[in-house]
This record gives sequence, structure tokens and C-alpha cells, in this order.
Amino acid sequence: MASSTQIPALEIDELTRDYPGVRAVDAVSFAIEPGTVHCLVGENGAGKSTLVKMITGALAPSAGSMRVNGKTHNPTNPQEARDNGIATLFQELHVVDELTVRENLTLGLEAKRFGFLIRSDLDDRVVKTLAAIEPSIDPAVRVSSLSVAQKQIVEIARAASSGASVIIMDEPTAALSEREVERLFEVIRRLKDNGVTVIYISHKLEEIFTLGDIVTVLRDGKHIATKPLVKVEGRPELIEMMIGRTVAHNYVPRPNPPGDVVLTARGLTNHLLKNVSFDIRKGEIVGFYGLVGAGKTEIARAIFAADSYDGEIIFKSQPVGHTPKDALAAGIALVPEERRTQGLFTAMSIRENIPVMNLPRMSKGGVFRADKEERAAHEFVSRLRIATDSIEKQTEKLSGGNQQKVVLAKCLFSQAELLLLDEPTRGVDVGAKTEIYDIIKSLADQDNTVAIFSSELEEVLGICDRIFLLYDGQLRAGIRNGDNVDTAQILDLVTGGSMQEDAA
Amino acid sequence: MTKSFAVTGFLKDYYIYLVLIVLVALLASANLDQFPLFERGNFLYKRNIINILRVSAPILVICGAFTLLMVSGYIDLSVGSAMSLSAVVYAMLALNGVPFLPAFALTVLVGVLLGAINGFLVVRMRITPVIATLITLSLYKGIALLLVEDGTSAIKSGGGLKMPGWFNSYGRSGALLDLPASVWVAIAVTLALIVIQKRGVLGKYAAATGGNPTAAKLSGIKTGRVVFGLYVLVGISAALAGIARSSFMSLGDPLSGDGMELTAILVVLLGGTAFSGGEGKVQRSFIGALIIMCLTIGMLTIVPAYTQTLVIGAALLLAAATNHLVSRKGGRK
Repeated sequence: MASSTQIPALEIDELTRDYPGVRAVDAVSFAIEPGTVHCLVGENGAGKSTLVKMITGALAPSAGSMRVNGKTHNPTNPQEARDNGIATLFQELHVVDELTVRENLTLGLEAKRFGFLIRSDLDDRVVKTLAAIEPSIDPAVRVSSLSVAQKQIVEIARAASSGASVIIMDEPTAALSEREVERLFEVIRRLKDNGVTVIYISHKLEEIFTLGDIVTVLRDGKHIATKPLVKVEGRPELIEMMIGRTVAHNYVPRPNPPGDVVLTARGLTNHLLKNVSFDIRKGEIVGFYGLVGAGKTEIARAIFAADSYDGEIIFKSQPVGHTPKDALAAGIALVPEERRTQGLFTAMSIRENIPVMNLPRMSKGGVFRADKEERAAHEFVSRLRIATDSIEKQTEKLSGGNQQKVVLAKCLFSQAELLLLDEPTRGVDVGAKTEIYDIIKSLADQDNTVAIFSSELEEVLGICDRIFLLYDGQLRAGIRNGDNVDTAQILDLVTGGSMQEDAA
Repeated sequence: MTKSFAVTGFLKDYYIYLVLIVLVALLASANLDQFPLFERGNFLYKRNIINILRVSAPILVICGAFTLLMVSGYIDLSVGSAMSLSAVVYAMLALNGVPFLPAFALTVLVGVLLGAINGFLVVRMRITPVIATLITLSLYKGIALLLVEDGTSAIKSGGGLKMPGWFNSYGRSGALLDLPASVWVAIAVTLALIVIQKRGVLGKYAAATGGNPTAAKLSGIKTGRVVFGLYVLVGISAALAGIARSSFMSLGDPLSGDGMELTAILVVLLGGTAFSGGEGKVQRSFIGALIIMCLTIGMLTIVPAYTQTLVIGAALLLAAATNHLVSRKGGRK
């Protein structure tokens, strides 16, 4: 690790940013040593993204200063930040699907003559950089044919080949499977070996312990600590620094025993699923765990009748119909993974969103009852503890966790008995995560049945009574959650291991 | 699996050429004896082909630039009005004794100006492209109508003034291989744009702007300039279309470009360009233009003229459906 006499790759000094009425970043100071993976953690609203925006030139600081490699860094736009050697990998991918990998790598940096592109050593250089960090990507293919993880690596290669000394990665693993995450980590370690400094932002603490050298914790816009991860005593200490209180993550068996079988799936087969069969009992929380592409979303969509399949699904002794409308009528609701685009009317308020899945309950003789709607909105805002100053707030303006609560409220209002939650806490901060888990548990306690489709092992181990393990469209095992669960065995199964396990 | 994949990939790239070939073959095999529009009763007779091409010159010259604009995710509804205004300006210049080259250059300059106004409204004033160009659609057409004196419907010979001889020949007389200059200009513009799309900075930046504007901006591409440049390019092509049309008709008609924006959109979509931007090829739009023109003119032999619009709509629906079926990913039933 770098010695303390080295010039920091990035030095942040008393950096402050004010928004009307809020101080988003409050006199934050810390230094980032070159050639390290420096993690930035904090709950949503802690000031991470505001800080990053100032570093990358998207926002101007209200006060304070920055230095990159000892030189004043005061970017007024992203281009200037990049010129100073700071590149950013955003949560949403910034590659052009319609262009080839090579065209993407040189985008904006092309050698040109009289308005035409000419070959230059840049083309060879970017291809070499890409080959060094991920040889399996063919530079001649269109980016649209790549997976999310590969697209990300293309972006990293672009940053690296443009000579960036600092690469900021904002939640880079949000859409990756665990195997892809490992691959990304290898790429990051290779970057580090080449002297590149990585600023790594993630909600996933395991990643930070696995990958990080140093961690900086922000809370409410203030700098809490910057210390080497080897000196952090595990997750509890980090979480405590982040939220100022300790959170228990362990599974507690729920008191009431599961009821009768409420849903039976037999031999589900479609373009991805291979002969998947399982039962779900009333009042249970079951988890479907697997890597991206294992078939989690496909099972959820099959139960919700959003995709067609061979095989049968029986819900409350009746076959589920052929459309989502039938599934809803039978009492099944799906909270999709892409809640912003598929689960919410983001331009509408909390009040307007809640009844949309069951409008008849809101109206009498075809006339809409505004008072009923308001009452329902107030009820759910307090019951699910949706943090908002008004039920009229546009859902777009809510945090990820609160948006998810509105989606849950929608499903609850529709009086669904079986809730299918696809990646229920993706992009949600630690505090709100715990609250969502509490909501899920209390729903199950009230005899609702919940199925969670997740690629976070910690999540399914934390709240599910039973866990179905998926790999490549097959259901590999069903296990009962408890003290004797072997995580090594689970990881082995979902990555294609052949270990035998009795179905629960 | 991989084989059928390759086949559908091939179909996706070339089906438009197949459609044109099938259409031409159908028309060639039809007995057109009763139709005075087609000489010798054969669609493939040389004069018939020349006729179709010179009538098509305006859309052929517009479709390339229009494709690039749509690839970048933008649209120009004023293209027909810009064409009309250019046609009127060009005819006025000719009628008032301005020689061919200066008249041609001045009209192209008008196209640059009209395109620049669109670009300014969209890029600088940040008006939604559809709204901005709907405004200029009305403005440009209004100016064109204003320029034509009361009591006449178009700028043409009369009142002591006479169109010069060259006015007509640009769009009518054979310049090379019996095709008029207007057709050659359209071919040259299309070839130039194909090269620009394939090898030019503008072509790549148009695809990047339409494919992922944020990524383009973050890569340091000045997307505003790209879009502005493309509007100017469309303006120039509209001026060239106006020149071709007025020359072919021997007059400057302020309504001559009416409906051209719809034809241009149809042609570009028929060529497989995504309405959302990012994808599309100039050469495919050119083929699309030929298909639409063959269809329009070929149909005169089969169905009454007033059903043409309906049939073109149906053809486009068919094309869209084919395109959808061909490009749809396998898997989901």
C-alpha cells in the first residue's frame, strides 16, 4: 500500500455543497492514495452522489477545493474532469448499443481528417487495453449483443485507455450476477496493479470488504471516517458508522407455522426454464435465489401469467389464467424488478399510484371517490412508513426505498394474497432495506404469502423461510432456512455445482 | 439454431432489396398494354424507368439526409415546406434572369438557412423537434405562398417574363445515360451520405447521439452541433428537391412539397430505420424510396389514383410487420 508521503491521487478539502434549504455535503475532507481501491459508503442521502458529481464536474461546489495528483482540480464540466484524468462509470450504462465495441472505445477521441475517420494507433491501443482486462470481448461486435457486465467492462476499458488515473464506479455490480461480479473485481484489481485509483461506491458491504483497501463513510453530508478496511471490525462496525445504529441481519424463524399449499407449479418449461416444480404454502416467505439468467424473473413472470410456458400452475386449487389480469383477479401481484419503469407511474403522486391496480374499489357506480383514495393513501403512508411530507408528492421524487414501498402499497391495496417481489431491495439503502424486510415479515404474519426473487444471498438468508436455488433455468434444490444452512453449499449449487440436496 | 439465426440476420439486412426486386418483377410481368402511362406496355421499358426516376428525384435526394437526422433521434416535419419555398425561390430567380449556377447556389443557400433555423429552434431554443418543425412547416409554407403573387397559383412564365430554357432541362432532359441532372444529383448526394455514414465523423456521431445521447455527451461529443449540422443537411436536401421538382414542372409551385415530410418518414421507416434513433442506413432508405415510387406509379395501372394513399399505408404496415417478425428475437412464444 502507498506510503503516507506520496502525493494523493485525489485530495478533497473542506468540500461543501448547498442546495436550497439543505447542505448536501458539509465540509468534507479526505485524501485518496494512488493505486488503491477507495470505497465510499453511506445511506441514500448521505451525500455520496453529490460528492461524486462535484469530483466529476457535474456540480460546482459551494465551498472548498480539490487537488488531483497535487494539481488544483476545479472542473466546470465532465470533459474537464476527464482531461484531469478522472473518469466515471455511472450506474446506468453509457455505451452506444448501435455501435461496435471498438467504435465505442474510441467514441469522442477519434482521429479525423476532413471530417472522416482515419485509422490511428488509438484503435490498436484501445483494443489492447480491452484485451488486457477482458480478452473474451470481440472488439468488432456490436455492443447491443453484449451482456450488461461486458458492456460495463467496455466502459472501464474506455476510461482506462483514455489515460484516466482515477476511475469512479457508482454501484457497478447492481445489475451483475455473482460470477460477473468476481470478473469485474479481477478487472478492478488489474487496474489497481497498473496504478489506477478506483473510487468504489456500493451498497453491498461484502463487496467493500472483498475489494476495498480503504473506506470513507459519509453520513448526512458529513465525513464520518476514512480508514483502512483491515482496521474495520466487520460489518456491524461499518453499518454502525453508516447509520449510527446496529442492525441485525440474521434470520429468525417466524412463530406461526405455514398453512396449506396455496400454489403448486409442476413442470414449468419455456425458453429458459427447465421442468421447474415447487409448492408454496400459505403465510410463507419463500425465496428464489440464483445468479442473473438463472430463471428467477422467468418464474415470477410465469406465475403472474405474463409469459407463456408449458406445465401447470395451480393457485388455490384453480389453474391461473393466461394473462396478468387473470392472475391479479386470482389474487397474485407482481412487483417487477424495474420498479421505476414497470411498477410506478412516476409522474403521478403517491395518492394516485396506490389504487391503480384495483380502481373499482375506489369508485361507486363508476364515479371515483376521491375521499376513499385519500384515506387509503394516508393509511399506507403510515402503515408502510413511507417517508414523505405529503401524499401528493410525485413518486419520481421519492428515494428508491420509498418508491418500493409505494409499489408494495399498490399490491396490498389490490388485496393480493400472493406477492411476487422481484429484487425488492435493489438500489435501496440499508435503512430502508430493513424496513422493507419488516413489512414483508408483517405481511406474512397476516397470512399473506410472499415470494422473493433475489440475486442477493444475504437477502434470502435474512428473511425467507424456504429458499429455492436456481441454476440455468433448473430448480436445483429447496432448502429450509435456519442455523444449519451452508452458504458454501448454496453458492456451489447456484454456480452449477452438482451436490445433492433433499427438497424441503 | 445458429443457422436459422444467420438466415434471419441476412433477411433483416437485405429484405428491403428483396421487396424491391419482387415489386419490380411483379410490375414487369404485368400486362400494361392499356395504360398510356407506360410505353410499349412494359414496365421495364427504358423510358418508363427514366420517367419514374425523374419524378422520384425529390424524395431520392431528401431520403439520405433525412435518414441521418432520424438516426440521430430527431425529425424535420418542415422538409416539405422548405422544398416548396426553395422551388418558389428558384423559379423566381430563373424568371427574373438570374443564370443557372447563381440561381442554384442561392437556392441551396436558402436551404442552408431554413435548416439552420430548424437547428436553432431545436438545439438552442430547446423546442421539441416535432413542435419546432411543425412551426416552421407553417412558416416556410406561408412565406412560399406569400411570394407567389395574388391571382396566380405558381411562379411561371407570363406577364412579359419567360422561363429560360435551362430551367426545364435540369429535371427533364437526359444529361447522362438519358437521366436528367436532378437524378444524378440525387444519386451523388446519396453516395456521399453513404460514405459519410460509414466513414465520416458525422455518421458515427449521429448514431451515438441517437443511440445514447448521454453517452455521446459524456464522450465529449457536442451533440448539439451534430444535430444542428444534420438539420442544415436536411435543409440543403430539401432545396435540391425543390429545384428538381420546379424544374420538372417548369414552375415554382408553393404547394409542390406538400406531404413530402410524410413520404420521407415512410421511406426512412420502410428502410428499417428505428423511429427512436440509433439505427438506420442511408442506402436502405434510398431503396425504400424506390419501392414507394414504384408502388405509387405502378399502382396507377391497377387501382384508381385516389386509393393510392390507402395502399401505401397498407404496404408500410406490411413492411413494418415483416420487419418486426424478422427482427424479433427468438424464444418467447
